[in-house]
Amino acid sequence: MESVKATRKKRMAAMGLGLALLAGLLSGCTGEPGKETIRFTFSKREAIGFMTKLVADYNASQDKTQVVLDTSGVDVVSASFVRGNPPDIALANYNMETSRFVQRGALSDLSGTQAASRVREDLQPLMDQYGSYPGRTSALPYSVMASSVIYNKEIFAAHNIAVPKTWSEMIAACEALKAAGVTPFYATWKDDWTIAQGWFDYSVGGQVDTIDFFKKLAAEGTEVGPESSVSFQKDFNQPVEKMLTLAKNYVNKDAASRAYGDGNLAFSQGKAAMYLQGPWAFSEIAKTAPDLKLGTFPLPMTEDPKDLRVRVNVDLAAWIPEASKHKDAARNFLEYLYRPEVIDAYNKSQLGFTPTKDSANVPDPRIEGMVEYYEKSQVYQGPSVLVPRTIPIMNYTQAIVFGASPASTLRTLDADWARLAFRQ
Amino acid sequence: MSSISTPTTSGQSRQRPRSRRRVEPIFYFFLVPSLILFTLAITIPGIIGIFFSFTNSIGIGDWEFIGLTNYIAIFSDPAILQSYLFTFGFSIVTVIAVNVIAFLLAVGLTARIRMKSALRTIFVIPMVVSGIIIAYVFNFLFSNSLPEVGAAAGIPWLESSLLANPDLAWIAIVLVTAWQAVPGALLIYIAGLVAVPGDVYEAAEIDGASKFQQLLKITLPLVAGYVVINIILGFKGFLNAYDIIVGLTNGGPGTSTRSIAMTVIAGFNGGDYAYQMANATIFFVVAILISLLQLSLTRGRNAL
Repeated sequence: MESVKATRKKRMAAMGLGLALLAGLLSGCTGEPGKETIRFTFSKREAIGFMTKLVADYNASQDKTQVVLDTSGVDVVSASFVRGNPPDIALANYNMETSRFVQRGALSDLSGTQAASRVREDLQPLMDQYGSYPGRTSALPYSVMASSVIYNKEIFAAHNIAVPKTWSEMIAACEALKAAGVTPFYATWKDDWTIAQGWFDYSVGGQVDTIDFFKKLAAEGTEVGPESSVSFQKDFNQPVEKMLTLAKNYVNKDAASRAYGDGNLAFSQGKAAMYLQGPWAFSEIAKTAPDLKLGTFPLPMTEDPKDLRVRVNVDLAAWIPEASKHKDAARNFLEYLYRPEVIDAYNKSQLGFTPTKDSANVPDPRIEGMVEYYEKSQVYQGPSVLVPRTIPIMNYTQAIVFGASPASTLRTLDADWARLAFRQ
Repeated sequence: MSSISTPTTSGQSRQRPRSRRRVEPIFYFFLVPSLILFTLAITIPGIIGIFFSFTNSIGIGDWEFIGLTNYIAIFSDPAILQSYLFTFGFSIVTVIAVNVIAFLLAVGLTARIRMKSALRTIFVIPMVVSGIIIAYVFNFLFSNSLPEVGAAAGIPWLESSLLANPDLAWIAIVLVTAWQAVPGALLIYIAGLVAVPGDVYEAAEIDGASKFQQLLKITLPLVAGYVVINIILGFKGFLNAYDIIVGLTNGGPGTSTRSIAMTVIAGFNGGDYAYQMANATIFFVVAILISLLQLSLTRGRNAL
């Protein structure tokens, strides 16, 4: 009996010790005493190393604010809004999900910041495309990614092919490559997002004015269909047919069973001349072929070189939630993030474009081909990301390249859009 | 309850009338924690979900009541109807395949053969591997290995991936799901077959019944209860199909293999909370109807 009591005492002591340790750990998370702690959400995996160093530099540079980097990801952020405990500041992909926070007024106004005054105004329509909150600048672009056709300069040079500027030049280039026994495009259709992001978006964006199209589509709402002023079946039909011309004649034979990873490897081995991917693929290709000479050019969809445009997306946007209790500290950190040397260094490291007017970035040779279009804002956002995620547009684009009728698939898209408008 | 508590009650309680007998508090101790957890984790969220299915909520922020609009929209949504069609078709085919294969394997593995326990172990291994891992391994086999075999052997329809064919991708899903589900059913069948007394076979042997007749006339009727339980458990599991489909086709090609669970979850991710809550509510009602049907089918079977 005595021994039982003794072990029980020991156990209690151990438990107490454990609790004390746990408490110590938890309080360790709250940061240094005397400093205001702000939570900074950032979950772009490729750049976490860069951002960790940046945050450490900032924390060392002043003694008022302690920034804690939170890399737990998008889903956690949504949940934190529901709980009323969002991060104090975030740099996150700007898309339909973030726009929900914007539209319901969950993000604070940043129009008074210095950073806001330095952002290029011509990019504002791209931000507004996802919706806005009256009287507020809810988010500021931080890193813009441009994507277009990636091409193997060595293969193009070996066959004396110039960068095509029109649709017929494009077809001619494909025919020349095919005749020489080179696969023109490497396609990875097993991953549906690669079709939506590349094949579908480049084809549609190169021909349709997406800003105007989606504005009218939203106005039509439940009326979207064969009779409405704009519709997927009417306006997207021709670009999709052109996409199929390329997809049916000029791709690798096993496209249907290849995935994104296979594509990066095959393209780095020179198995095709062109690849419809974004700049994120460069670092993957460089893993196997660091010295491969690559370039980019917008996919020509018309006969007029003036129509050439590149697909962009706001890869990162900065925002500060209305519910944050440390807005001033967060705004100070925001200004730090937008310092020319900081924002330029970030975008250089990620092959992104800096959205500020005073940017002095020299672009990487691999994205040089897109600079002139970005500078002249001949850009569009991909239609596949402007359709609410609840409509499975990626699956639809995959169905089309796998042989489903484009007309009936686009009709389904119209019906889905109208149904969504009906219930929201 | 009373039948469970009988062995533990002591002599004194036997004199009291049954209805007034005090229940041992230990049973509440067993029940209450799981009851609380179940209520907190399943019942309350379920009721909240059903409530929100009558609103236009996107999961956060303001919302308002929109009555039955979500339900009306669902019944005209071909994507959702197709997901129901796919899920039920897939479940029926898979449940048949799993039970036929598992039963035949069980008959073989309970017969007098060499290396019986080693073979049983091997056949049960798929059960311990997680579904998503199985799916990714098979995904690689279907996309890379099988087409190479097809190309080498000159079989044209094998040369392109089964997963890339909108009309055949479901077969791949049935195959992989069955591969994972067979061991579970197999174990239950083995237990059932072992329980059949040996003397009935001896009697049949003396009467001159062939092995096939014995299987049909003796084994099958005697393990019928196990067949029912396997079909119920299997069907219920397959209706919730998610991980293997995500790993194999992710609902594609196109939308040809999107299960109901996938549609619901896609809605959450896409800010379509209330609408997919309505879908989940309908699925819940369907699942209850199936459970009631199964309950009435199995009631009174002592084998279970």
